[in-house]
Amino acid sequence: MIRCVALRKTYGSVVAVDDLDLEIAAGEVFGFIGPNGAGKTTTIKMMVGILSPTSGTVILGDYDIREAPEAAKAMTGYVPDQPALYDKLTGIEFLRFVGGLYGVATDVLEERCNDLLEEFGLVDRAFELIETYSHGMKQRLTVAAALVHRPRILILDEPMVGMDPQGGLALRRLLSALAASGVTIFLSTHSLAVAEELCDRIAVLDGGRIVVVGSLAELRERAAERPDLEPFDSSLEAVFLSLTGTTGGRV
Amino acid sequence: MSAPSLRVLLAPRLLAARTALRRSRAKVAILTLVTAAFWSGSFVFFERTLSYFQTITALGPMLTQRLLVMLFVSFFAVLVISNVVTALTTFYLAPEVRLLLAAPIPSRRVHDARFIETTVASSWMVLLFGLPAFLAYGVVYHAGPLFYLGTVATLVPFLLIPAAIGVLVTTALVLAFPARRARDVLVVATVALAAIGYLTLRLVRPERLASPSDLAGFAAFLAAFEAPAAWYLPTTWAAEVLIPLLGARPGEPLFYFALLALTAFVLYLASASVVQRIFLTAWSRAQEGRTRARRAPLLGRVLPRLTRPLPRIPALLLAKDVTVFFRDASQWSQLLLLGALVVVYVYNFSVLPIDDGTPLAATLRDVVAFCNLGLAAFVTASVAVRFVYPSVSLEGRAWWVLRSAPVSIATLWWSKFLVAFLPLTVLGEVLIVVTNRYLGVAAGLTLVFMATLLFVIAAIVSLGLAFGAAYPRLDSNNAAQIATGFGGVIYMVTCLGLIAGVIAIEAWPVARLFWQRVGASPLAPIERTLVAIAFGIAFVLTATVTEVGRRSALRSLAALQP
Repeated sequence: MIRCVALRKTYGSVVAVDDLDLEIAAGEVFGFIGPNGAGKTTTIKMMVGILSPTSGTVILGDYDIREAPEAAKAMTGYVPDQPALYDKLTGIEFLRFVGGLYGVATDVLEERCNDLLEEFGLVDRAFELIETYSHGMKQRLTVAAALVHRPRILILDEPMVGMDPQGGLALRRLLSALAASGVTIFLSTHSLAVAEELCDRIAVLDGGRIVVVGSLAELRERAAERPDLEPFDSSLEAVFLSLTGTTGGRV
Repeated sequence: MSAPSLRVLLAPRLLAARTALRRSRAKVAILTLVTAAFWSGSFVFFERTLSYFQTITALGPMLTQRLLVMLFVSFFAVLVISNVVTALTTFYLAPEVRLLLAAPIPSRRVHDARFIETTVASSWMVLLFGLPAFLAYGVVYHAGPLFYLGTVATLVPFLLIPAAIGVLVTTALVLAFPARRARDVLVVATVALAAIGYLTLRLVRPERLASPSDLAGFAAFLAAFEAPAAWYLPTTWAAEVLIPLLGARPGEPLFYFALLALTAFVLYLASASVVQRIFLTAWSRAQEGRTRARRAPLLGRVLPRLTRPLPRIPALLLAKDVTVFFRDASQWSQLLLLGALVVVYVYNFSVLPIDDGTPLAATLRDVVAFCNLGLAAFVTASVAVRFVYPSVSLEGRAWWVLRSAPVSIATLWWSKFLVAFLPLTVLGEVLIVVTNRYLGVAAGLTLVFMATLLFVIAAIVSLGLAFGAAYPRLDSNNAAQIATGFGGVIYMVTCLGLIAGVIAIEAWPVARLFWQRVGASPLAPIERTLVAIAFGIAFVLTATVTEVGRRSALRSLAALQP
């Protein structure tokens, strides 16, 4: 459902993403983890078509994001790392606007917006300007907007940041339910617990390159081959630190 | 551990300014050139005016002194407003205030750092506009070095007084309203004052003062400026320091300087003392949001119905842009200025002396009618720089919403183009029709003007989107601030160049059509062809600029990163 083919992005002499190849099946929850500056957000921006790759491409469903961007975007929902929204719109106006951009029919849009506001606990604040929302509320509204057109692919960049524990739990449940219904989920996260709980497979990105990709069990096997991993420490955190060559000593 | 010094607190701004200067040398060079040109022009204007005043034996000295008071009064008024608006940001809205409050820094030092920042940010305008005027005074009066030293010494307390007033007024405002609401109140009040000032200045018909027969009006004009010269105003004190130093008349410069300096010091202490005591309370109050919106706001209900006839994406963008426009005081308040501009524009034509039947009046009417095309285009460009140019930047960090949606850049461009082109065309064409009626221009020629203007407006809008996308300021949500940036200036200059080009191309054919109308000389067949070719060239020029602008905008929009 998602295929990155030799995806590369350079800024002058700096290589942000280095010939990245990935293949993610329909209905899969795919975790994307890596240290700060590893190239996760850059990769995601190229996947959703808001950043042009230096070379390579991304195929979403049957559509190449470079050759048929509108068709590829129509089947995708995107949650960026920063919930920057139109502050002078109300929550419900924003959902209607996004639904309109994706061509959701007017008669179904209203009902869908109300359902999403209900589901994300924003119904009481639906008619208030977004500028009055907290960071967590904006984050929830962004996720709701990503779902308003019922996408087949959902790409999320750090969606849990700023959410309260209830919001985080509700989102994890929602993602599981969406995956069960066949939606492909690409999830970039710093929360290793979230990745461990939700993801079928995980890719570890470091320095713009994929260090390893596989299920949690496969990642543990790979990490166990490294001498610096404690024998009984098989948490994803230890695996991650080992695979990215860090020991957790830096801030 | 000692508290950080003022230098440390001001370092972020200084370093940011230094980095900006180093990074964009071309921009700095262009801005330096523009500033130098402005200073030179301003100096020449003041030097000539003051020299002319000096030749009027009886009134000259009084006029020059009165002009100095007027300059100080104007600067002071603008400085107070500017300081209030700036202090609101530097003291209560800037994100780094949170960091300063959390850090172990005495509140007095926070005040001093923010006070300096407010003063500098608000006072550059006085340096830009004021220095050539003061220099011209020195040159015309052959003043000695003491005048120049006195000017610098006077300007320091003169700038500090409105800064302190600004901080005190802002703190009172923030205690009364939440900061966002206070900012809206200030923005609207400032723009409304500017619009009223502009209207008043025009409607008193200052051109009558040029008439030597209207001495009564002239005396009344001077008398009108007696009031601001009140002894208790800092503007009078500042003038009273400089006038004796110019050698214009004897006075007590030291006394007035002491008065000025002492007032500045006392007000600074008041500002520091108030901020020291209630900064945390005022800042906490400033963090409160707006009150809850009503259920289903009116705009949200009405706009979707009004935009229904349009294609889906332009309709959505129009509804969104109009909603945001009327909820953002920095945007809708610009309409007040626009209204004043249009009223003055039409009024100017209504008072032109073109009906007295003299040959001079007829010639004046023809010349003005021709210039009207350029003037209407200029007004449209002035409006575009405030409404079209910022439209890309105003998408802000939410640009990702449009970019990740299944909407092509070309569709987005067309939507933005239509949303701007339609109202601007209505404005420009109405201006041309109404003013041409005042001038008695023939219907055929008015149609030619309207057609030309249509193409010029298309080019102006296209350029606005191109420059707006090339110089995006996604972090700024203030339309007026975006318009006055570097890209806005370059955009305006480009528009003026385009308008001048079109006027130059159409000058001869329009003149021929005028002559034909008054029956002076009918058009020969070859002249008809040449007139058609000239209009054709003008249309090709504007269409080419529109297309070049479109392509440039598409490239910039594709590369634009939220």
